[in-house]
Amino acid sequence: MVPESVRIKFRKTGRLRYISHLDLDRTVRTALVRIKIPVWYTEGFNPHAKIVFAQPLPLFAESECELLDIKITEKMPFEEIKRRLENAFTDDLHILDVYTPENSFRDIAFAEYRISGNFSVNENRVNDFLSKDININKKTKSGEKNVNIRPQIYSLKLNSDGTITTVLDASGNSYLNPDIFCRALLGDNADFLITRTNWFRSENHGITEFR
Amino acid sequence: MKLDAILKNVLKPGRYTGGEYGQVIKNKDKISARFAFCFPDTYEIGMSNLGMKVLYNALNMMPDVWCERVYAPWPDMEEQMRKNGIPLYALESLDPVKDFDFMGITLQYELCYTNVLNMLSLSDIPVYSFERDERFPIIVGGGPCTYNAEPLCDFFDVFSIGEGEESLTEMTSLYISMKKDGSYTKSKFLHRLAKIPGFYVPSLYNVKYNADGTIKSYTPIYDDIPEKIQKRIINDLDSAPYPDKFVMPYIETVHNRITEEVYRGCIRGCRFCQAGIIYRPVREKSPEKVNEQIKCLYENTGYDEVSLLSLSISDYSRLSKLTEILLEWTDNEKVSLSLPSLRADTFSKELMDRISSIRQSGLTFAPEAGTPRLRDAINKNVTEEEILHACSLAFGGGKANVKLYFMIGLPTETYDDISGINDMGTKVVEQYYKTENRVKGRHPSVTLSCACFIPKPFTPFQWCGQNTIEQLTQKQNFLSEKITDKHLRFNYHDAKASRIEAALARGDRKLSAVLYEGFKLGMRFDSWDEFFSYEKWEKAFKNAGIDMSFYANRTFSTDEILPWDIIDIGVTKDFLLREYKKSLDSVPTPNCREKCSGCGANRLGGVTAWCPKVSE
Repeated sequence: MVPESVRIKFRKTGRLRYISHLDLDRTVRTALVRIKIPVWYTEGFNPHAKIVFAQPLPLFAESECELLDIKITEKMPFEEIKRRLENAFTDDLHILDVYTPENSFRDIAFAEYRISGNFSVNENRVNDFLSKDININKKTKSGEKNVNIRPQIYSLKLNSDGTITTVLDASGNSYLNPDIFCRALLGDNADFLITRTNWFRSENHGITEFR
Repeated sequence: MKLDAILKNVLKPGRYTGGEYGQVIKNKDKISARFAFCFPDTYEIGMSNLGMKVLYNALNMMPDVWCERVYAPWPDMEEQMRKNGIPLYALESLDPVKDFDFMGITLQYELCYTNVLNMLSLSDIPVYSFERDERFPIIVGGGPCTYNAEPLCDFFDVFSIGEGEESLTEMTSLYISMKKDGSYTKSKFLHRLAKIPGFYVPSLYNVKYNADGTIKSYTPIYDDIPEKIQKRIINDLDSAPYPDKFVMPYIETVHNRITEEVYRGCIRGCRFCQAGIIYRPVREKSPEKVNEQIKCLYENTGYDEVSLLSLSISDYSRLSKLTEILLEWTDNEKVSLSLPSLRADTFSKELMDRISSIRQSGLTFAPEAGTPRLRDAINKNVTEEEILHACSLAFGGGKANVKLYFMIGLPTETYDDISGINDMGTKVVEQYYKTENRVKGRHPSVTLSCACFIPKPFTPFQWCGQNTIEQLTQKQNFLSEKITDKHLRFNYHDAKASRIEAALARGDRKLSAVLYEGFKLGMRFDSWDEFFSYEKWEKAFKNAGIDMSFYANRTFSTDEILPWDIIDIGVTKDFLLREYKKSLDSVPTPNCREKCSGCGANRLGGVTAWCPKVSE
């Protein structure tokens, strides 16, 4: 059969906050072998399972919406794949959904984050923060660069429980690292926890569901 | 949580979080003994150690025991822990080590000794055993260095001598039963433990010294404990407990793959090699058992690489059968095999074809010495022709890189032997160009890697003094100037670190004072170049009033009582002495399969042993 694309949605929490993207990639690869998912292998000199993540999650952040695409070479019901995956990891990696992808990862335009922690921000600070250019020093390959991140902030709102919800640019060309955003808003030494909560596509100058 | 806050400030926080797939979690309320298994080096190294996996599994097979893992935190983490009042904790429960019943520390190499003291201190546990009352865990040492753990005697309550799969369960069972019947006190427990074979309780033996600093006597303080501690062995490897799963590290470790032990011991008896003597008698697993265990681990880990472990894999008597049954399924599942510890004399085209069937691992051979004369003296029975033939096979198989291991400073060595290292390297390069079916258009790269000889307890060379640093450096420089071929690369070990290893390896109880001085100087991670400081070691020896050369460079008399004579490893001192004398005449000894040389290890038993006397 033609390899079938399967999208896996999972939560990454707890001790996995300290595990980098590359380490997560390796963890998933060994797990897929363990639970005998018929994953499609590349056919090069060094065959390896073809698996693609939507986007790396910064170290120390949690997520409720991580996405991972695999291709399977034999028919297997999604409930069965989900059941096997649920037994393949510790509780810190919790499988939420297994489905056929409808959008390509290339179409991801924005990501939503919830920022919680030991800080206090009020409406005035938010309004002031959003009212002008936000210039930060960004380390790049060619040295430090002063950039304005204001255009990459789509929305920012204070929740009644003291947390912040923000939608930031997550497109390939102008992705904004939520860690940089938090430092700009809360200061370098602030104590915060970032949780990625959702993905969006662009549509008619607005944002819409990514699936 | 305090831990969360500090993990943001350290390198590789994944070393300190635990929570890996495959870790063993038990209900604390249903446990009678908690065992903190400590590896005194980084997570990446400790997680790659097979012995630790085997014993973690063996202990956790006991329903009333919970064994957890502990590794040495890197200095950046240590700083954060000390600053924030976080004591050393175990990765599964994150509970402090000081609340455990046992703290087991594996001693794999001498340069980790400073980490041992530092880990005790980080646990808020007094380093000296006499300072620890009933509130503290029993500190037990194990691993290869316990065959002479005298330098650590003041810090440990007990050493487990030999293979621990059975003895550690006996130890924890005794502890649990004494706790249950109310007879437990630490001193009663240690006394009873000392009567079980394989347990050395150093505080129960008095040592007297002669005026010249050598040992006069070892005397047990009770009549009912043995005068010598006999090492434990597993009689039948096929029925010994072996892990059916591994803890899967999230972060990259040194060996992140299936490791399968194929046999224990070695038939060769190279005269410098401690492992080849202390793990005797040779005992093999059956190919069917090896295959079954690998298959099980493959299914439970998902690793795509298998490493077959032993001291010399090509000496496994049924290697051909084993690779045959493994390749029946590993190829299809895209699992690759790697065979470390290949001997040049038994390396074959067939074997190479099999291991290169999916991915080819690098090829390394260990001639150890540059001339036939010295190879005979050290009993490394491999000829130049065999080495060149093996290299030629490798070159024909598409390889252009070969690494050759040698030693500098071996007993009876002359400058001719050192020149011989360069000669052999040059011949291997020539062999490359003589190999018709080599890959055309490439040039060879031959690495000559030279370690410094370190005299080790329980080897025929245990009496030999090490070359001084000056002698070793001179020899290294001499060889460096000899090597002119542009295809040869030369690297060598630091003579200073080798000297410390020699002093600790042949040390007696007086060296506890040196280790304590080192601890006070803040020494740790001495097996890491960035932390090893010879100057600090010199200072620690000086502060303790101990002469390093007495242990490192002195040729011990064959009549004197050696610090490790208290341990009975099966192989007799007579055999070692016979071998030592033969080495002085450059006479080799046949391997165990050719002829029994009466080493004595067969006294210990061992089914499926390759010892003719046991097989009869």
